[in-house]
Amino acid sequence: MDLYSNKMNWSEVQDLFRLWREENVRKSTEVVDLWERILQKKIHKLGDERLLVLEQVCVASLDCNRLEVADACLKALSTEFPTSLRIRKLKALKLEALERYDEALDVLDSIIKQDDTNAAPRKRRVAILRARGKIPDAIKELAEYLKKFMSDLEAWQELCDLYLFEQDFARAAFCMEELILHNPHSHLIHQRYADIRYTQGGFENMELARAHYCLALKLSPNNIRALYGLFLSATNIAISTKCTSVKKKENNKLAKWALNEINNRYEEQCGKSNQTAALEGLINSLQILSTGWFTVPPKPV
Amino acid sequence: MAELLLDSKIRVWVFLPIVVITFLVGVVRHYVSILLSSKKKVELQQVQDSQVIIRSRSLREHGNYIPKQSFLMRRHFFNSEESGYFKTQKRVAVNQNPMTDPSMMTDMLKGNVTNVLPTIVIGGWINWMFSGFVTTKVPFPLTLRFKPMLQRGIELLSLDAAWVSSASWYFLNVFGLRSIYTLVLGENNAADQARHLQDQMSGAAMAMPPDPKAAFKAEWEALEICEHHWALANIENEILGLAGPFADSMYHQNKVE
Repeated sequence: MDLYSNKMNWSEVQDLFRLWREENVRKSTEVVDLWERILQKKIHKLGDERLLVLEQVCVASLDCNRLEVADACLKALSTEFPTSLRIRKLKALKLEALERYDEALDVLDSIIKQDDTNAAPRKRRVAILRARGKIPDAIKELAEYLKKFMSDLEAWQELCDLYLFEQDFARAAFCMEELILHNPHSHLIHQRYADIRYTQGGFENMELARAHYCLALKLSPNNIRALYGLFLSATNIAISTKCTSVKKKENNKLAKWALNEINNRYEEQCGKSNQTAALEGLINSLQILSTGWFTVPPKPV
Repeated sequence: MAELLLDSKIRVWVFLPIVVITFLVGVVRHYVSILLSSKKKVELQQVQDSQVIIRSRSLREHGNYIPKQSFLMRRHFFNSEESGYFKTQKRVAVNQNPMTDPSMMTDMLKGNVTNVLPTIVIGGWINWMFSGFVTTKVPFPLTLRFKPMLQRGIELLSLDAAWVSSASWYFLNVFGLRSIYTLVLGENNAADQARHLQDQMSGAAMAMPPDPKAAFKAEWEALEICEHHWALANIENEILGLAGPFADSMYHQNKVE
């Protein structure tokens, strides 16, 4: 937090807040801190942006359980717009922070009743179920939501997460496919899809995983996790009993290539040192592990 | 021909007032239409329909990136004869008469009050108030054909076509102030006359909600003829650098290897 020192003046803070708001950065403690030290005294200078900043600070303070700050923001906003649905959503958020979930649900339901095209309160309902640990209910609710709002990427991603909690990999993969359809050029999405397929196991899934790791690498050659994944899935196919000899050769070649690439990356980063030796040891252990089904490629060290 | 010399009072009492009046009327119109505008209520059904269309479109465009089975599964969900989404969802075709819908009537009335009425009233008043003046001259020679455009209200055969009459000056202002409005009022302001006129020309002054039935049928057809060619079939060789994209597949993206 020393990064944002006392030296900043209020207009710099205003710009910083705007940047965070637009990019959806979750820096709640920093937001509350800057607000209390600098921006609060200058709030009258912000003009119409004041209201947006108040909303932002309100959410941030709820995130780090500074209820008195949130209350002050809510009060200021409520006097401005007594009947606004957006403010009511913030109130529901506060109830959630207090873990008064049933009351929060009532508030959210009243918002949906007034404006049934409003997506945000429906998503909050799912979030409440998740916070309570009722994952199957959350899945049901989110699936119902997705029937109405079919191209909501955030929701598909969340549903994928929820299915992974339940270890329902086939359905999680379906959600990931949906994300690929909407954004086919993101290497992270392809890498995650491949992770899921790899974890699912089986010969065909392994081949799918290999293809998508390759695509992730093509889109972003520096994706180390995809390199590890490619290595593991290729070795896995090569040692499979269903594999023909031609395929075996190809896959060995691919695994070798991936291994080589990983080595090169590490050498680029730290030069020829004892770290590469450690890496070789690590890869040997990976080769043994790769016979199992439920191995997920480890994160790069 | 002797050079025409204009009285400087014409500049002060005709030329500038027309500019100022047109500009101010535009600003006032902008704020009045903001006051009068009613928020369109969107139905949940409409949101759902548009999102379905978006999803099906992205399936068509990027379906090659997912495995064939997943693609067919999704297409079945949309297009299957018995249970497909586009087949089973029955939407009433939107062809209701706008006259029977009171909210649409008020919208039309508001549109008329803010657009048509001021144009007629101010235009008529300007014509009556400042008629018959030669106000300014364009700094380049023009052919005789421009005379009816630039010299409305003055029928003088001997006058050079480069001179602009007061009524024409008003019309030039009405259409020419657009960029100044964007500067002062921001993008998409309601003061923009030319846009309204275009709307009326194409007969789209009333924004009709798009007909979901027709959109579904079009999307069904497009999806039906959409073929699946897995984009990742050759990716391993590509990444090894063995074979770049094949020479002919560069031009036929969907060609089967």
